[in-house]
Amino acid sequence: MIKKKVTIINSAGLHARPSAQLVKLASKYKSDFYIHSYGYRVNGKSILGVMTLAAESGAELELELDGPDEKDALEAIVDLVESKFGMEDE
Amino acid sequence: MEATNVKEGIIKGRSIGDGVAIGKAFLISSKSKTVSPTSITKGAVKNNKNRFLKARTSLIDELQLMADELKDSGSAEIIDTQQQIIKDAEIERNVFEIIENKLLSVDFAIYQTYCQFIERLKESGSELFRQRIVDLEDLRDRFISKVSDQKNKKSVKKGALIVAREISPTDLVSYYEDGAVGLVMEKGGVTSHAAIIAKSLGMPCIVSADHVTKEVQNNELIILDGESGSLIHHPSKKTLKEYKKKAAKGDKLKTKKCSDTFETSDGFSFTLKANIEFEAELPKVKKQGAQGIGLLRTESLLFGHRRRKSEEEQLAFYNTILEGSEGPVTIRLFDIGGDKSSGRAVKEGNPFLGWRGIRLLLDEKELLRNQLRAILKIAAKHPGRVKILVPMISIINEVKDIRKEIEQIQSELLSEGIKIDDNVPLGLMVEVPSVALSAYQFAKEVDFLSVGTNDLTQYTMAVDRGNERICNLFQHYHPSVLRLIKMTVEGAEKAAIEVSVCGELAGDEIGAACLIGFGIKDLSMVPESIPKISGLLGSRSKSDFEALAEAAVERSSAEEIEELFQEWKSN
Repeated sequence: MIKKKVTIINSAGLHARPSAQLVKLASKYKSDFYIHSYGYRVNGKSILGVMTLAAESGAELELELDGPDEKDALEAIVDLVESKFGMEDE
Repeated sequence: MEATNVKEGIIKGRSIGDGVAIGKAFLISSKSKTVSPTSITKGAVKNNKNRFLKARTSLIDELQLMADELKDSGSAEIIDTQQQIIKDAEIERNVFEIIENKLLSVDFAIYQTYCQFIERLKESGSELFRQRIVDLEDLRDRFISKVSDQKNKKSVKKGALIVAREISPTDLVSYYEDGAVGLVMEKGGVTSHAAIIAKSLGMPCIVSADHVTKEVQNNELIILDGESGSLIHHPSKKTLKEYKKKAAKGDKLKTKKCSDTFETSDGFSFTLKANIEFEAELPKVKKQGAQGIGLLRTESLLFGHRRRKSEEEQLAFYNTILEGSEGPVTIRLFDIGGDKSSGRAVKEGNPFLGWRGIRLLLDEKELLRNQLRAILKIAAKHPGRVKILVPMISIINEVKDIRKEIEQIQSELLSEGIKIDDNVPLGLMVEVPSVALSAYQFAKEVDFLSVGTNDLTQYTMAVDRGNERICNLFQHYHPSVLRLIKMTVEGAEKAAIEVSVCGELAGDEIGAACLIGFGIKDLSMVPESIPKISGLLGSRSKSDFEALAEAAVERSSAEEIEELFQEWKSN
């Protein structure tokens, strides 16, 4: 199992579309994926779970991956978050 | 079917549409939003789980079909998100757990699961998901109706009379298209949304008919008398015969054609248009001889199972309306908020004074821009026919902002190589007293004004028109309301623009007479009212109406105006 902290940097926060992208990406990997944030722990492969975090810009998330491809998965997810979900700020 | 020993009975309600309808009752069991828990046996667990999976597959397929039709990436992404929500593994886990461990039926399992997530989203207090909560509630309801559909799908037979506790306007139109000819509701006031639509469709309609869903049996023969506002069940042979005669007579009267041009007895011409919301109303518009559509409401595109939110879907809808009608069509931008969004996530203390109409649209840019794009495209296809009407304006900056948005969309369309008509008239609704009081200042900024008398009355009299306890205070032709309209006309005249009226007042004899008297020559109303109003307005001279209007604004109450009108009429 590996863990890493990331910060949401796109100005709109983790709203529906970024959540959808995150879940879609994570679902491509076999590893289990959980997100910890301010005392909550949600299934990172569940869009509703991710949405209930209501992570706004600046929110800190801890990503937890566990499984055979955990390293690749973590790298890809971190990339997505850091690239502001490929969306220029509106 | 009828037992001969049952006595004829009458249920009283408030009448909406005139006319008589005779037919079999089509009872709609109360469609409350809460789904109650139903226990199932262990043996039924598998079946309930399968129903969940089947409903899920068909929902995803439907969404995919929609996504394939839509070319713009914005809508596609929204649909993609909805699909992911439906597919969500946590939903499945939760639903299965409720079915397996609590032994409760699948519809309740879905309901409870979605509600849990909705609650959590609400608790998060985040502004991010305000719209998403509405979407989730919609998905939940669609999911539930999907799993119930597999069990029993009732369809209405031709000639049936709908008997329901309450019904949504979209459902009503569906039933109408399937052949329903009348409506009886237990709830709802005279100005309830479904009632207005029923009237517009020309269906005899009764509202506030107490206990009607308990007393009337499904499929039993009933008579609906729109004139007296009563429903007759177990009618005797004699009663039935009388009403059959009456119904036949009524049909003749309804098809009486109006003249093509409308004018007062001294040749002052005026325009009568129709207020509509659905394609199904178009035949009525034609039949009653309306000279255009003075108010096309668009909110129903956003709600219910008929929603058509995307630019392409809206375009198709506007096109149907324009092709199916003649003359100008005034499209009002989404007037959501207030009473028109039961699904709103954030409860407001004073929704009618809250985030509605233009206030909401300027915050929800995607919604606004999609609609403007569709309207501007359709305007280019039917040059000179489309007008844009902006709801709930209260300050001048809102007018400037919306104009900026329109200009931006126009240049966007041009740069995409799409033809536009850069002369689409922009108007605003006069429904907040601030606009009437400063009419000239607002009139200078736009091409026309349209008075929405329902809301203007509500905001002037400080009375919630949906509240039955105080509905007697809702007085359309209170002198204060009339004075505000008069001020609006004066302001518009000074700025040399037109004023029209599209509220219920225009379809009311007293109201219409005063409006013409103020010099307003463009009235829009439910199509059914057109023959009555054109008859009255054609029977007197312009100066007669002017005298009436002048006297009316000097009175001190609505009752006095009623008396004045009766006196005036008999002279």
